Amino acid sequence: MNRWLDRWLTLMLLALLGWAGWSCLHWLWHGADWTVVVTNLPLYAVGSYPDAERWRPLLCIVAVVVLIVITLLGPRHGGWRRSLPLLWSAMAPLGIWLLAGGLGLSPVGTQSWGGFSLTLLLTAGSGLLALPLGVLLALGRRSDLPVLRGGSTAYIELMRAIPLIAVLFFGQLLIPLFLPPGVEINRVLRAVVAFALFAAAYIAEDVRGGLQAIPPTQREAAAVLGLSPWQSLQLVVLPQAFRVALPSLTNQAVGLLQNTSLMAILGLVELLGISRSLLANPAFIGRYLEVYIWLAAVYWLACTAMALLARHLEIQLDPVRSAR
Amino acid sequence: MTIAIRATDLVKSYSPGLNALDGVSLEVTTGEVLVVMGPSGSGKSTLIRTFNGLETLDSGSLDVLGVRLDAAHEERQVRAIRERVGMVFQQFNLFPHLSILDNISLAPIKVQKRAKAAAEQLAIELLDQMGIREQAHKYPAQLSGGQQQRVAIARALALDPEVMLFDEPTSALDPERVKEVLDAMRQLAKGGMTMVVVTHELGFAREVADRVMFMDQGRVIETSDPQSFFSNAKEERSRRFLSQMM
Repeated sequence: MNRWLDRWLTLMLLALLGWAGWSCLHWLWHGADWTVVVTNLPLYAVGSYPDAERWRPLLCIVAVVVLIVITLLGPRHGGWRRSLPLLWSAMAPLGIWLLAGGLGLSPVGTQSWGGFSLTLLLTAGSGLLALPLGVLLALGRRSDLPVLRGGSTAYIELMRAIPLIAVLFFGQLLIPLFLPPGVEINRVLRAVVAFALFAAAYIAEDVRGGLQAIPPTQREAAAVLGLSPWQSLQLVVLPQAFRVALPSLTNQAVGLLQNTSLMAILGLVELLGISRSLLANPAFIGRYLEVYIWLAAVYWLACTAMALLARHLEIQLDPVRSAR
Repeated sequence: MTIAIRATDLVKSYSPGLNALDGVSLEVTTGEVLVVMGPSGSGKSTLIRTFNGLETLDSGSLDVLGVRLDAAHEERQVRAIRERVGMVFQQFNLFPHLSILDNISLAPIKVQKRAKAAAEQLAIELLDQMGIREQAHKYPAQLSGGQQQRVAIARALALDPEVMLFDEPTSALDPERVKEVLDAMRQLAKGGMTMVVVTHELGFAREVADRVMFMDQGRVIETSDPQSFFSNAKEERSRRFLSQMM
């Protein structure tokens, strides 16, 4: 008796899923009008960057993609592999130079930056600022000096108690108030700084977790070999702590990328900002589904690439696994 | 006979009213092997950890290779001692993220500023001496406990120390791995190394020690040559300990 009911239920559910899946696919191929995405692909990539200089942000994006592909699929050993860390760390200054110009390139103001290249820059810029700050905060929180420990703890707890969007608004509205008149920091930089200050608090907690996982005997072993406290931290404790913290740091990085979409509210035209301005265009009225599905796909792709890179790094840093 | 370590009236307490070290005095001469025995909690580990500044003193003073340590010593003095005194721990404490070769050559390169090639050459020689040369490019997790402890000894020897401290070096090992570590230590003693060894290995103490020191409750109960300690201990407390061990 029960068996028949089970079979019937299974069939009904399969039919329902099949029908839902079919209608989704049907809409994607026949119902949806993708012109809003297709005609605006350049806008999604580089925003309202001057036409003549578009190759610069495009080069940025291509360079990052190529670097990701080489890292994930390239040779496991040899010169290429060894130069990868260098290439990756050269990416940030190179990207800023390409976008901002100067030193031989014509300068382009941040108000013209936009699209995926801006999203990449916001993520990388705030991440690179937040990481060292987060490490310092984590070390501060474990320091023996009460002032340092109290200060770091207070900062971390405060930042974690404030929503990101509030921090971003503070960044846009309050930072200019503290600056002497005439000095102005541009909007993108203000956003990156506010974002980094926020993310650093979370990174600090992840790094602290990593530091706590390293037994104090490691520090003792380093000390009896005559290593200074700084050498012990740099050569013995931090490398191990980072390995432990890597999965949670990956989480932070993915969160960072997604949270850059909040900048749209501040008027930056990154991926979400571009989408919103497109939807406000009478030519594309009502194309919400297409635009947001496309947006979700782009974010998904970017986050998946990040997750794959992080897993790759985890394996590379695990001496026993990478030796295989 | 020069004195390598002279301890005068060492006192150390972790909690008020309970002294881990309760007025310990001793001398270790150069080239001597001193074995420290005693029940757990007797203060023997605390004692040898004061010799290189891992534990601070509440009172009393130490003279280690001519450097003075007391309750008010500075970090600089401790660093001066650590470059000349090697230490081996119960739990090996190798650096898991570094290869065996890097574990051994790290301090020679970073502390003594030796050239990388020379430091690695030395590491290979020491591994050879320990009989585990073929493990050089593996990582600690891939080695057995006995092999790891021999790497730890090689790591300490790489700084060319004048004194070696061993804190229960075989207590965390499987019984069949104990011998390979003790053999390495025996070899070291034969080479004339000044050694202070905290251990429960009676055989090693009887055979290798120049003197055996017995501790209980933070005090030295007796110090004598191994022959008379094992066959004819002076103190009743020592005899009771030995009867439980054998």
